[in-house]
Amino acid sequence: MIQSQKSETPSMKRHMGMKASSRISNTASYVVLVLISVIWLIPFVCILLQSFRCESTHQVGYIIPQKWGLDNYRNLFNTNFPRWYTNTLITALFAAVFQTIIVLCMSYTLSRFRFKMRKPLMQFMLILGMFPGMLSMIILYQVLKDLGMTQANSVPGLILVYIASSGMGYYVSKGFFDTISKSLDEAARIDGATRFQVLMKIILPLSKPIVIYTVLTAFMGPWGDFVFARYISFNVSAGMNAAVGLYGWLSQDQISKNYTMFCAGGVLVAVPVTILFMCLQRYYVEGVTGGAVKG
Amino acid sequence: MANVKLTGVKKIYDNKVVAVHDFDLEIQDKEFVVFVGPSGCGKSTTLRMIAGLEEISEGTLQIDGEVVNDLQPKDRDIAMVFQNYALYPHMTVYDNIAFSLRLKKMPEDEVYQKVTNAAEILGITEYLTRKPRALSGGQRQRVAIGRAIVRNPKVFLMDEPLSNLDAKLRNQMRAEIILLREKLNTTFVYVTHDQTEAMTLGDRIVIMKDGYIMQVGSPEQVFDTPRNLFVATFIGSPQMNLFSASLVRSGADSYSVRYQNITVPLDSDRCALLKENGVGSMDKVILGVRPEHMTCCFGGEGNAVHSTITVNEMMGSELHLHVAAGNDRNIIVRIPTIELDHERRSALVHGSPLDFTFSSKVIQLFDPETEQSLLWK
Repeated sequence: MIQSQKSETPSMKRHMGMKASSRISNTASYVVLVLISVIWLIPFVCILLQSFRCESTHQVGYIIPQKWGLDNYRNLFNTNFPRWYTNTLITALFAAVFQTIIVLCMSYTLSRFRFKMRKPLMQFMLILGMFPGMLSMIILYQVLKDLGMTQANSVPGLILVYIASSGMGYYVSKGFFDTISKSLDEAARIDGATRFQVLMKIILPLSKPIVIYTVLTAFMGPWGDFVFARYISFNVSAGMNAAVGLYGWLSQDQISKNYTMFCAGGVLVAVPVTILFMCLQRYYVEGVTGGAVKG
Repeated sequence: MANVKLTGVKKIYDNKVVAVHDFDLEIQDKEFVVFVGPSGCGKSTTLRMIAGLEEISEGTLQIDGEVVNDLQPKDRDIAMVFQNYALYPHMTVYDNIAFSLRLKKMPEDEVYQKVTNAAEILGITEYLTRKPRALSGGQRQRVAIGRAIVRNPKVFLMDEPLSNLDAKLRNQMRAEIILLREKLNTTFVYVTHDQTEAMTLGDRIVIMKDGYIMQVGSPEQVFDTPRNLFVATFIGSPQMNLFSASLVRSGADSYSVRYQNITVPLDSDRCALLKENGVGSMDKVILGVRPEHMTCCFGGEGNAVHSTITVNEMMGSELHLHVAAGNDRNIIVRIPTIELDHERRSALVHGSPLDFTFSSKVIQLFDPETEQSLLWK
């Protein structure tokens, strides 16, 4: 008995030591993570608090408002903000729908069909993707101007630009589709399904995470876009999206009367995306990592 | 119910690799044909060409007299069971089986009737509401078969359906496929690399190698009269023993085989075949004898080959002895254990001598250059 106790002691000690060291490393990582998230959250919290500040509209040296209220939110509706918000929403929704359709069809085609120019096409798109999108801005502006899709009519122009190159974003979803056994397609085709039915009834239901990931990324691009939207709307308020419109309030002559309203607008822009992410984050993570680990 | 006719069917891939060469075969209505061969012999490719999943590069494929080369898989009225089952993971067993019927827009009550009927035949009624991931390998395979039989197809195609199952389940499913075949009474084309499956299931076996048909025949034919060395060694387990021997023609109608110290006169049937094929005396022939056809000479008979046991494998009902005789190292002798008393069995160990011989009625002879059988009619 004594012997067995003796023999257990070193292993127990080792076990205790391992437990203690893992507890220390866990605590250290939590502390670091909490610190990082606090730093990361500070601007958001500041904006949120400032949006409820009613005592003044200009920038101040403190964070917690002295007088709380919803005045800033109410005042937003007396500006062009609703128009900007609608512009952003329409652009993002259309872009999300069409981009998703194009990306998924493209990915399915490149994953399942074997045609002559498949590989050169993929390589070409890879190389094309290496050029910064900004390079195309001048020519795109000219094209959109000729089509009458700039300034006040920038919404259809923006939608067109966002969905035009969306096929190039096929990588992640193609990777995911590649992990789905081809014999499922073949079984379905023998069962009497057309290629389109195979995609709709077999592949897409099995690819929920990637569909959601594609919708989310397709929605997020236009929702937060600034550079291109500003360029196309060309200082015409009716054609601006929320980001461009709100940015205008930060100019030197506007910032003192519009700063808190800018914060309120920022919060309203962030709310739908935050809700979307909170609901769908599980799928989003699965979508990004799914293709990599699924056997 | 239909017959399938392949005429000069060829498969050439884009990289110019020829997977199947001039495949000619007529599969009769309600026949069970098994394609068997090693990996890469083109058996699955041929099956997939019949299914319509691979394009036919040359030649014609007819199902029920109609050329179907350019028809889509769904229009060929065939059903296929895949090696990995290919069940739709997001659907229940019921939905999996009902999938093809619903695509045909069949009324739901009729679908219900057909699905439950198929489930009853296969004994999977209690699993109808489950998803495939909640089923065992055998149950999944039954669902895959259910999905095929519910369509009542003209031709049933099976691509190595049992190779993902463990040995015990494979034997059980093999018996079930035989019973299923009796119930369905339709044309079956079955692909396997397992010669036991081929022998037990097929009415006819098509043995393939490197995209060519090596031999087509009933299990008995391919076992007893292999056309060439490949078929002889591929069919039968353990594989046929091959010896370097010589053939002696003595007189017009009599032949004998000489191997090491023994001479075995051939029986009249074999002599007649050799004579018909115009075979004379040959210094070198490949002599083939199956392990179960080797006779052990425990009494020290004179006309026997002397060998030494190198490996002793106790298989339960029989004993596999690996022996070495001269330069021939891996000769296998198969002895039913019931024929051995305890004393004799314990004497058959590594290093001990064993004398064996064989009857002329069971031997095969092959040309060492062409590897073709000298006894082929």
